[in-house]
This record gives sequence, C-alpha cells and structure tokens, in this order.
Amino acid sequence: MTARSLTALAVANRILLWAVFLTLAVICVYPMIWLFLNAFKTTNDMFAATWGLPKVWHWENFSTAWNYGISRYLLNSLIVTTATVLIELTLATMAAYALVVLNFRAKAAIYTLILGGAILPPEVSLIPLFRVMAETGLYNTYFALILPNVAFGLPFTTFLIRAYMTGIPGELREAALMDGAGEARIFREVYLPLCRPILASAGLISAMRVWNEFIFALTFVESETVKTVTIGVMSFAVALRADWGVLMAGLALSILPILATFLIMQRQFVGGLTSGAVK
Amino acid sequence: MTDRSDHTRATWRQSLQGWLWVAPALLFLVVFVYGPALTNIRFSLFSFSAMSLDWDFVGFDNYLRLWNDPKFTTALTNNAIYAVISVACQVGVALTLAAVLEARVFPDLSANLFRTALFLPSILPVVVVGLVWQLLMTPTTGLIDQLLWETGLSSWSKAWLGEPDTAIFAVIFVSQWQWTGYIMALFMVAIRAVPRDLYEAMEIDGASGIQQFWHITVPGVRETILIVTIITILGSLKVFDIVWVMTAGGPNHSSEVLGTLMYRAAFRDDMIGYSSTIATVIFFIALTIGLMQIKLQKDR
Repeated sequence: MTARSLTALAVANRILLWAVFLTLAVICVYPMIWLFLNAFKTTNDMFAATWGLPKVWHWENFSTAWNYGISRYLLNSLIVTTATVLIELTLATMAAYALVVLNFRAKAAIYTLILGGAILPPEVSLIPLFRVMAETGLYNTYFALILPNVAFGLPFTTFLIRAYMTGIPGELREAALMDGAGEARIFREVYLPLCRPILASAGLISAMRVWNEFIFALTFVESETVKTVTIGVMSFAVALRADWGVLMAGLALSILPILATFLIMQRQFVGGLTSGAVK
Repeated sequence: MTDRSDHTRATWRQSLQGWLWVAPALLFLVVFVYGPALTNIRFSLFSFSAMSLDWDFVGFDNYLRLWNDPKFTTALTNNAIYAVISVACQVGVALTLAAVLEARVFPDLSANLFRTALFLPSILPVVVVGLVWQLLMTPTTGLIDQLLWETGLSSWSKAWLGEPDTAIFAVIFVSQWQWTGYIMALFMVAIRAVPRDLYEAMEIDGASGIQQFWHITVPGVRETILIVTIITILGSLKVFDIVWVMTAGGPNHSSEVLGTLMYRAAFRDDMIGYSSTIATVIFFIALTIGLMQIKLQKDR
C-alpha cells in the first residue's frame, strides 16, 4: 500500500485490524499461559487471584503430577504414536507407489476404496471393533490402539503421498528399469529418497492425530500401563478434582513436549500440517 | 490419473504385482474400517447386551425407538447447530482472517506472530483443551467469571457448562477456539497459490481490499472452500471427544450429540443393538455427505 492511499479511513481500518488480531492472539494464547502460571499455585492462591504470577512458585506440583503417572502415559503415547506412524507411512507409501507407477486391474476402484475410508468416522466401526479386540485378546494392549489408528489414518496419508509422487517424472523409473532394477529397488532407492519432504509432513500430521486420539484410547484400553496421555489426563482430572494446582501441572506436563516442539519448529509445523491444502 | 499406462489393459501378471503392493493398506481398511462398519449395520437389527449370548432379531424396532427418542432429536439438532456455527467460523471467519494476513496489512514479523498464535490451539490435545476451558468456565473461581466481575459485568456470570441453555454453545465455542486458526493457516496456503498479478491489476484499477477479496480471493480458493466446508461438516457430525470431556452430554442430556449418545448407549447402558443403530445413522449421514462431495467435485 502506498502512502497516498493512507486516508483517515484507511488508518482507522488498520487500527481496527490490529485491535482484532491482537485480541484474537491473546484469546488463543492466554489460556495456555494461564494454565502454566496456575500450575505453580496452590488451590487457595488460585481462588484468591486466578491471574497474576504465583506468590510462591510451587514446583512440587510438577513432581507430584509426574509421580502420579504422567510419565507412564507419555511413554505409552510415544510408543503408540511411533509404531502407528511407521506402519502407516510404510503401507501408504507402498500403496501410493503402486497407484502412481504400476498398471493393474481395478486400480481406480481400489483407490476409491482407500480414499473412501476418510469419510467414515471411527464411531461407525467402534462397537464391532471392540468385540474383535475382546475376542482376539488385543483389548488393553498397544495393538488395540495402533492397528485401528493405522487403518483410519491410511486414506489421507495415501492421498498426500500419492499426490506428491505424481510429480516425480516417470522417466526416472523407466531408466532404472532399463538398468535392470526391480520395482522394490526403484521404490527404495529412487522414490523413497525423493519423497522425504512429504513423508516428513505426512508423518507429522499422522503423529499429531495419533498423539491426540481419544475415542479408541477411551474404549480399547483400561490399565494404567497402557493408557495414553489423552485418557491418562482424564482419569488424572477425575482423581484430582480438588487439587487444581497439581491437576494443572499435570495438564501442563502433558502438553509440554508438543508445545516445545511447536515453538522451536513452528515454521515446519505449520507448513507440514497444512500440506495438502492445495493440490 | 496421471500415468499413461492406464490406456493399456493390464495383464493378470502385472495386476498381481500391483495388487500385492496395495494389499497391506487395503487389508487394514477392510479389517478395521469397512468390515466393522458393515457388521455394525447388522448389529442394529438386533437387541442384545455385551455379555448376552442370545440376540433377539428385532428388525427395524431399534430405528423406530430411536426416532421416538427425544434425546436423538436433541443430538441431531446439536450436531446441526455445531455444523452451522463451525462452517460460519471455520470457513467464513478463517478465510477472512487469512485474507487479511496475506494482504500484507501487517509487517511480516507481526503477521507471522499472529499466525503462530492463532494456530497454537490446534496442536493441543482436545482433552487438554476441554479440561482447561472447563476450569476457565467454572463459576466464581474460573477466569471468565472473575473477568466478568472485574469489568462490572457480573450480571452475565453463568455456569456456562452447567446450564442446559448454554452448555452446547460453550462447547462449540471452545471447538471454534481450537480449529479456526488451523483452517486459517490452510487458507493462507491456498491464497498464496492465487497469482499475485491478479491482485496488482485490480489494485491499479483502484479496487478496495474488500472488492479484491470477493473478486479474486474467494473464486481463487473455491476448491479449498469446498473441501474445508465438507471436512467441517463431517467433523461436526462425528464430534465426540470435546463434548465427552466438557459436559458428557449434560446437563440433563441438553448437550448430547450423536457420538456421545452412541457411546453412552454402548458402554454405559449396555444396549449394543440400540447403540449400533445410532452408529448406523452416523454412517449413512457421513456417506451422504461424502457422495455429495464427490458429485460437487465432478461438476467442475
């Protein structure tokens, strides 16, 4: 915008926009600041003044919360998330490779079948899945979370990777075929290295989804040793209704890993999580 | 499809190879998504509990019962309200915010900070968001109540989550808080793909920012608007976690949605057949929305 267009109206507009965005930014960020500050207070301090810095910083809230089981929940979430992402990326990349470069019958129908899974919410499969988990002994194990999480993540992940692979020139594969390389080798040595950026984005999207997943974790596991952090903080919140300080310290700890990663790598985060916005 | 090989019909040998590559993914979808979804439809025709060995075939009785269940009406209405508000906020508001941030109204650094701040809620687990806002909305001790007292608006003070009139709206508000910034970031990516010279040409013609928004931005990101709208509506249909954490459908079932209704029927009241019926309704609504999306995208 040039100086001459800055009429009084434009100035007023600009002030208004600043006010709107500043307000929205505060509304979006402040609840988290509030959470972290109050995590240091005793319940009484909180009732007296819910904002403001703690008069005494009660670090012990965090150690109490940590010993209450948060550490175990975080570990379980890490295991479930890592396993899901690895399996999901492997299967999705293989499927995408076939859909882009190989020629086979019923290809369009198969692609539709894979994508169609994205329409169905977990609710529609939950009850039969629960019975399957119970009957196969998978109930209350990591697999009870990993397997359905992979299945429900595959449609979007395959879509993302396939879209990216269509941009890789087919000549690369043809040249490799001439040299006598098989599909497995072309996949591993040509396509996988070229797909690194989309694998990182798709992996991040999938990891966020699994880390925050709720309904499977609520339904398919029950012991403290398998519970992921989302369900962990739920039981934590029920147990600590009366002790807000420790509860909030627990909540703060549960989001600390994700929050720290986001703040350090926010550009990659936003970029990765929004890939797929335009095809 | 971009590859040229589609024109020649594959031999069985070629096909076998292709099928082997997609088989693992397909297997997962059949075993954990499609298979259970179809089984669920069959369940909806029976009356049984988790432990019972004998299933009574009841035909469409469960559907009849659901149709006459006032909680079902409440849930459907709440899902619809959820969808309308979410589309308004996450498509309308988010697109507007994205357009402002991309219009270089603010210096780059502050635009970037605004985007990060607004994006932040979307990386947090829904459970934590729900619990934190539950604390914020607690009467007397919560931040919102204290804020209202401080500013002399104490007459507005309310148990937002504890009253049937406001509970669902309080939950919907939190959902908008969490997701508007994320959709905004999606729109920013889409807007960046719109050719810049279109804006410059209009600016030379003296068009205002608002005119540029309607004539260039909106048509330029039509595809994204369509997809985001569909995703938002689907999201409002399957919403479960935020409601379950904040109100569990209460007070007195006023904030019930299809997801919470289904979950409670199955895992609290042990009415598996009835619960499957609710899940089947969700299935068919989702299917309808999905088919609509395919049709809309084909039309262009």
